[in-house]
Amino acid sequence: MVADLDSGVAPATAATAEPAPAAIVDAGPENGSDAGAGVRRPKALGVMFWLAVGYLVVLVLAAIFAEVLPIKDPADTFSGTAKNGPSAEFWFGNDGAGRDIFSRVIYGAQVSLIIASVGATLALLIGGMIGMAAGYYRSRVDTIITTFTDATLVIPPLILALSLILFLDSEAARRVFILIVVFVLLSIAPIARVVRASTLVWSEREFVLAAKTMGARNGRIMFREVLPNVAPALISYSLIVMANLIVVEGAVAFLGLSVPPPTPTWGDMINKGRTDLEAAAHISLVPAAVMFLTVLALNFVGDKLQERYEPRESVL
Amino acid sequence: MGTLMGRPGLAVMTGAAAAAIAVSAVASERSAWSFLVFVLGLLAGLAVAWRSNESPGAIVVAGLALIVVWAFVEGPPVTWSFFLIVLTGTGAAFLTNGRYALRRILGVIPILLVVSFVVFSLMASLPGDPAINILGPAATPDAVAQVNAELGLDEPFFNRYGNWLGDAVMGDLGNSVQLREEVADGLSRSITPSLQLMFYSLILASLIAFPLGIWTAYRNGQRVDRSVNTVMLGFFAVPPFVLAIVLVLFLAIGGVSIFGADVGLRILPGSRYVPFGESRVDHFKHMFLPALSLALGQAAVFMRLLRADMIGTLRQPFIDLARSKGLRTRRILWRHALRPSMFTLLTVMGFTVGTLIGGALITEIIFVLPGLGGYMFNAIFQRDFIAVQGGTMVIATLYILILVLVDFTYLALDPRLRTGGSGLGGDGG
Repeated sequence: MVADLDSGVAPATAATAEPAPAAIVDAGPENGSDAGAGVRRPKALGVMFWLAVGYLVVLVLAAIFAEVLPIKDPADTFSGTAKNGPSAEFWFGNDGAGRDIFSRVIYGAQVSLIIASVGATLALLIGGMIGMAAGYYRSRVDTIITTFTDATLVIPPLILALSLILFLDSEAARRVFILIVVFVLLSIAPIARVVRASTLVWSEREFVLAAKTMGARNGRIMFREVLPNVAPALISYSLIVMANLIVVEGAVAFLGLSVPPPTPTWGDMINKGRTDLEAAAHISLVPAAVMFLTVLALNFVGDKLQERYEPRESVL
Repeated sequence: MGTLMGRPGLAVMTGAAAAAIAVSAVASERSAWSFLVFVLGLLAGLAVAWRSNESPGAIVVAGLALIVVWAFVEGPPVTWSFFLIVLTGTGAAFLTNGRYALRRILGVIPILLVVSFVVFSLMASLPGDPAINILGPAATPDAVAQVNAELGLDEPFFNRYGNWLGDAVMGDLGNSVQLREEVADGLSRSITPSLQLMFYSLILASLIAFPLGIWTAYRNGQRVDRSVNTVMLGFFAVPPFVLAIVLVLFLAIGGVSIFGADVGLRILPGSRYVPFGESRVDHFKHMFLPALSLALGQAAVFMRLLRADMIGTLRQPFIDLARSKGLRTRRILWRHALRPSMFTLLTVMGFTVGTLIGGALITEIIFVLPGLGGYMFNAIFQRDFIAVQGGTMVIATLYILILVLVDFTYLALDPRLRTGGSGLGGDGG
C-alpha cells in the first residue's frame, strides 16, 4: 500500500520538486533562468558583492595611505569643536576632545586591519597544516589533534584573549605583537576543524587513491592533490576569520586592552563615546558603523565565495 | 499541548507537578523544602508518564515547561533550575537509551581532564610571579617564599595540578587573594545573572529564528526570502557590543535627532540589574535589552541553519505524501518538516549558547550585570590567576554539560537513536 501511494505520488511531483542529487542546493527557483543553458556555470556574484569588495578596497587603501592623504592629524585637538556634529570641515564630526573623527576612523582601520589580516594569515597557515594532518592521516593523529582543538574551543575566546594579553605583558609597548600572537592562538582551532572536515572529504576521492597507487609520498599527495582543492574554501573562510578577529579586536579595544591610547582604535573610540551617547551619539556611532560595515562586507564576500567553492554544494 | 486530554500520562504528570508547585508556593517563602516538594512532584509525574508509554520527546518538553513555570512562580536560584533541567534531560536519556547516555556521560570525564590540564598549565606557564602580584613589587624574598608556600607554589607542577584538581572536584576552587573571598562563592554569586541572560537570549533568539527560518525555507528564493536573509546577515555582522549601544540609544535614552526630528524611544529602563526575586516585572524590563542584543546575532545564525536544512527536508518524498493527504501547510511545516531539520541547528545552538556563559562579558559590562563575565574580567585585571583558573573551569564544565544535553535531545528528536547502542555514537565533531 505504501509502495502504491509512492508510485502514485512520484510522477506528479517529479516535474516540480524532484531534485537531481547532484545539485540539491542550487536547484532553487532563483537559478531557474540559467538552468536551461545546460552548462554548470557559477552563479553571478551580484552587485552587492562588488559593492562590498569596493568598500573593502577603499578602506584598505585609505588605511595604507593614511599618512599621505590630506586628512587631519588624528591626535590634533581643535579648540571649540568638542562634540560637534558632522560639518564641512570635519566630515564625521568631532569627538569629546575635539579631534577629527574622520581621520581617527581611518587611522583606527590601520590597527584593526593589520592585526586581523596578519592574524588570519598566520592562523590559516598553522591551522591549515594541523587540520590537513588530522584529516589526512586519521586514526591516532586525528584523535590527538581533535581532542586538543575541542578542548581549546571550550574555553571562551574573549576570556582566553584577555588573560593572555594581561598576563603576557606588563608594558603596553609590544601590544600589536602580543595581540597577533593571541589571535592566532584563538583562530587555530576553528580553522583546523574546517580544514579537517574538508580534507576528510577530498582525501576520499579517486584521484587521491590514484596518486597513492602510483606511489606518491604523503607530503606530495597533501600538497599537490588535496591542498589545491581545499584552498578555495579555506581562503574564503579566512575572510570570515578576519571579520571575527576585527570584532574580537574591537571588543578588546573596547575594554581598553588593545593598542594603547595615542593610537586610535575603533573599539576604544566606541567606548569613549559611550559617556556622551545622549548628547552626541555620533562619537560612538560613527566608528561603530564603520566597524559594522567592514565586518558585514568581509562576511558577505566570504560567504559568497564559500558558496561558490564549497565542495558539498557544487561538485559532490 | 492541545493533545493533553488524549494523553493520560502527560496529564497526570502535569497535575502532579502543578500540585507540587501550588503546595510549595502556599507553604511559604522559598526554601530547600519547596524545592524538594517540586522535585518529588516532578519525578512522580515523570515516572507516571514514563509508565504510560508517552514519547520521550513529549515527556521532556512537558518537564521543561513545568520547570519554567515553577521557576517563574517560585523564583528559585537559577542554578537550581539549571540543575533540574540537566537532571530531566539526563534522566530521560537514561530511560530511552541507557548505554548511549552512559557513554556520553562517561565521555565527559576525559574531556574535562584535558580541559583542566590545558587551563592549569596555561595559567602556570604565564610569566609573572603571583606572590609579587599579591605583595607588590617591593616584597622581600622571605615574604615571597612564605606566600609561595601558603599557595603551595613551591611544590612541583604535577603535585600542584593534582591538589588543585582534587580540591576542584570537591567544589573548592581555592581562595581569591585579590578579591578577598572564596572563588567558589564569587562564582556562584555571579553565575545567576549569566545563566538568566543565557536563557532569555536563547528564548528570544528561538522566537525569532524558528518562524523566520521555516517561512524563508518555504518561500525559498522568493523576494521575502531574499530580504529576510539580507536583514539577518546584517544582524549576524553587528558586533554584540555595537548592537547593545545602538539598542540603548534608540530604545532607552531617546535616540538621536536628525534635522530636528527625534528618532528613538525611551520605553525601556537604563542599565541596572534587578534580581528576579525582587520584582518580576522590573527584572524582565531590565534584562530585555541585554538579552535582545545577544539574541539578534544568534537568531541570524539559527535562522540560516534552519532554513538550509529545511529546504533539503521540504524536497523529501514524505513531505509530498503529507501534502497529498491534504494536510494544511502550517501543520506540514511545523510538525513534519521541522523535526528532521533541527539537527545541525541544535548542535550549533549548543555551541553558541555555551559560549555565552562567560563570553557575554562586554554585554554584561555595558548593562552593568554582575555576571560571570564581569567577575572574570575583574579577576583577569587583578591578575588573580586562582580565580581565573576556577572560573574558566566552571565555564568550561557548564559548556560541556550543555553540549551533552544537546546530544540527549537528539534522542528525543530521532526515534532511530533510541534503540540499540550504536546510532549517532561517535559524532567526533
